[in-house]
Amino acid sequence: MADITEIRHRIKSIRDTRQITKAMELISVSKMRKSMTKQAFSSVYFDSVRYTVKDILRHSTDIANRYTERRPHGRAAYVVIAGDKGLAGAFNDNVLNLAWRHMQGHPVHYVVTVGQMARAFFEGRQQPVDLEFTHAVANPTLHDARGIMRDLLDLYDRNLMDEIYIVFTRMHSTAEQEPKIVKLLPIEEQDIDADVQATYTGDICYDPSPEEVLGVLVPQYLVGMIYSALIHSSASEHAARMLAMSNANRNADKMLESLGLEYNRLRQGAITSELLDLTSGKFFSENSLHQKADRHG
Amino acid sequence: MNTFFLEIITPEKSFYRGEVESVNIPSLGGACTIMAGHQPMVFATEPGTISITEGGVTREAFMSEGFIEVRPDETIAFAQAVEWPEDINARRAAEAKERAEEQLRRNRSAAEFKLNRAALARAFARLQVKNRSGRR
Repeated sequence: MADITEIRHRIKSIRDTRQITKAMELISVSKMRKSMTKQAFSSVYFDSVRYTVKDILRHSTDIANRYTERRPHGRAAYVVIAGDKGLAGAFNDNVLNLAWRHMQGHPVHYVVTVGQMARAFFEGRQQPVDLEFTHAVANPTLHDARGIMRDLLDLYDRNLMDEIYIVFTRMHSTAEQEPKIVKLLPIEEQDIDADVQATYTGDICYDPSPEEVLGVLVPQYLVGMIYSALIHSSASEHAARMLAMSNANRNADKMLESLGLEYNRLRQGAITSELLDLTSGKFFSENSLHQKADRHG
Repeated sequence: MNTFFLEIITPEKSFYRGEVESVNIPSLGGACTIMAGHQPMVFATEPGTISITEGGVTREAFMSEGFIEVRPDETIAFAQAVEWPEDINARRAAEAKERAEEQLRRNRSAAEFKLNRAALARAFARLQVKNRSGRR
């Protein structure tokens, strides 16, 4: 049986930990809400960009744009988005392992990481990280997305890679997130999922020409893809952390309950034995008093 | 005069919604005006001035690079940034213009040149919108 002070100590430490996990859960809830409202604002814009790009690619097949043309070699670059911190269940592991498995199929690859956990993962596997972004995870902004887009296009223009994949966690609901790989470049029609239902389905003219419109749209398309990946990833991270923390809270409650029971039992036992000591001591001393009195009497 | 529904959207917010008579846009192929009943079309735009005529009153705003979709039922303009003249910080725009000019003088690569030129075009268009509204 454990010592009573030891149990008291454990109860205190569990209660302290529970306070932390409770706070983390609440923070995650509010942060997740914040990034989801941000996503709602920007998605109208970028969905339309995606839809228009898809429409141009579908209707004008003879467009020459260096971002829509396939390149012959299979050199791939991966933009892997994970969190800055752990304590979010399997969130980081899922997305990183998916990226890792996909990379094994491409002998030549570059790795671009977003977030501390992604960098630590690849460093631990002796996979050199070619480029890293550290600020974009906690609170993604359009500015971050533009910076990432610019650097990627720079590398792509220097003909260092043939394909760029973006690996992130897509958020379906607070309870369901799914790690995903999406091809960023070259842009191909079948890769674009445009959920927008256009109200007008007839032919549309492009001014000055489909090529030039596409030239304006491509950077915006990429910014939109990167931004929504960042937002989805951050919302997923917070959702995963929220779930992990609420599990931790439940476990802490259970432990506190059983420990409390044991503590009370031990305390009761201690009181009982103390009482026994007292009464038996009193009984003994009284008895011996009587005996003395009898002997002298 | 016939009107049509115009909406202007940026990634951050919906900038404008309303029935308008015409809208003049800084298209890549030169400025052009869209009126009701226009053929369905998509225009790419460069940084410049967009003027909206609603109820006989014309207002100007700065619009950065983007595109405009004309559909039979509505016209939607998408741009990275759209600002009314009163929201433009003239000093900031002037500083940005000087910075871009300075950078253009000593650009190191083709990519940088393109970036700086775009930044200069934005700053220039902002100042233009601001100054024109100040004179009136």
